[in-house]
Amino acid sequence: MEQSGTSSLLKGAVQDLASGVVSALRSGDHARAAALERADGEAEGLAPAAVRVLGADALLPSTLLHTPPLPDELAVFRKAVEAYPPGDDAAPTVLWSHWAMRHTLRRHDPGYVGGPRQEPDAAWLEGATWQVLTHQLAVLAALAVPGEDCAVARAARHRPVDVARGFVRAVRRRDWRQAAGAGRWLTLLEGVPQTLGLENGLDFVELMGGQDPLVALQVSAARLTRAGAFA
Amino acid sequence: MTDTRLIHKVGADALEWLWAHRDGFQLEPDVDPEIGFLERFKPIGELAMICKVLFREGVAGSRQAQLAKQLLDHAWRETLDGGRMLVRGQLTEPISPIPFEVYLPFKELGYSQPEVERAAVLNHRLDSWAAFEATPTRRLGLSAFQRRFGLPPRPPEPEPRDTTWLARTPEPWTVEGHIAYDVTHNVFHLTDWGERPDGLPPATADYLATWLPVWIDDWLDLERWDLLGELLVVDACLPHPTLDERAWEGFAAAQQPDGAMPALRTMPEGPPDEVFDIVYHPTLVAAYASVLATSRSLSLLAQAS
Repeated sequence: MEQSGTSSLLKGAVQDLASGVVSALRSGDHARAAALERADGEAEGLAPAAVRVLGADALLPSTLLHTPPLPDELAVFRKAVEAYPPGDDAAPTVLWSHWAMRHTLRRHDPGYVGGPRQEPDAAWLEGATWQVLTHQLAVLAALAVPGEDCAVARAARHRPVDVARGFVRAVRRRDWRQAAGAGRWLTLLEGVPQTLGLENGLDFVELMGGQDPLVALQVSAARLTRAGAFA
Repeated sequence: MTDTRLIHKVGADALEWLWAHRDGFQLEPDVDPEIGFLERFKPIGELAMICKVLFREGVAGSRQAQLAKQLLDHAWRETLDGGRMLVRGQLTEPISPIPFEVYLPFKELGYSQPEVERAAVLNHRLDSWAAFEATPTRRLGLSAFQRRFGLPPRPPEPEPRDTTWLARTPEPWTVEGHIAYDVTHNVFHLTDWGERPDGLPPATADYLATWLPVWIDDWLDLERWDLLGELLVVDACLPHPTLDERAWEGFAAAQQPDGAMPALRTMPEGPPDEVFDIVYHPTLVAAYASVLATSRSLSLLAQAS
């Protein structure tokens, strides 16, 4: 039971952290700092693990709004990067998610030099069915950042119709997290079919699943991307 | 692309079941008036329409062509009593379109019942018929049938067509079962049941080419075989059918050894007549999807060679 207790605490910490990111994205201020403190206060020591679960999105407000992270925030993020390196047999999504964190850390902390800069292999996305492609992209939605280029983003750019299909599939299955992640990618892609109705689709996903902070986070990120707040 | 043999076998087996269970296509002349005598006509109309497609496409084997012919003869002579039951239905409900709808495919195949034709011509003149309240897709179907009968459609087909859900190409993630059935029937009417794929307006064909794969994927995983079968028909009506391998394999795997196709997940249990009422439609649809997809598959092979 100990394990499930920890797991449930971690889940709570991730949700709190995501809620803080959502608040910061919506308000454009430093409310995000409170999120990390809250996570710290409620579950001592879980903050780096929660950051690792959320990945590069833990610093999304700083990335999208071009505001430097607070020192404490950056320290926890760095600790997460260093404490949870991917294993030798890690899945491609784990390798990429960690790469995204290192990449983000370099952007916000010029002093950070750890870890390889080289991108992981993205061959597993080539020839993936549209269902698998969308699922994997949604898991890696933290890579859907305007102006950023990487092999995963290129794979998405080559297949806008397939990602749009995956969005529809996720909505039909009420998989709001996947739908929100796919929707976030779609806001970055050209060639998305007009008939998808993406803007209303994102509102629908938020209405149906937005009580989950991990869904709200993706929808907020998508809105900021569409609004051009990053420019 | 799916193996043509697998697609063909689905239809061949379905036809065997339909022939073996032909007595299930029966009317209930003594039915409670509250239920309505015409309720049991629909399966017969669907049977005739699909047998007509089978003849038209000419891709069924000689055994299937023979069974289809026997089924049509049985339905016309035994079930409809040489068309007299259609007349009786029309006398019971004079302005109902159902006897006309059931009659049309028989007429196109050379069967004849002049009294039903007289009623069809008279009804066509009635404002009541043109004003009959129906969904745009149903109205589109009635207009298409009038055209095929040789009457100027009232209203002209573009009128209902342009007000259907499909014509407006709405958000594809809002589709649910009822909408999906409207979409499939819309396509049946626009293409004259697969005979004229160019009857689909280009915007509609593009829309379906983009989103149909998602709906097929979804209803395949939900194991809703009846709707999946209709969606596979729609695929075969498109300018570039996908003949999706995973969907066809799943569809074929759901079919019973005797050819019956369950409507949803697995075969229902119960008295034979109740089982018939549940599975005759998905089994007809399986025969229909199979013959159209086989035809398109062979055309693609011919183009490739």
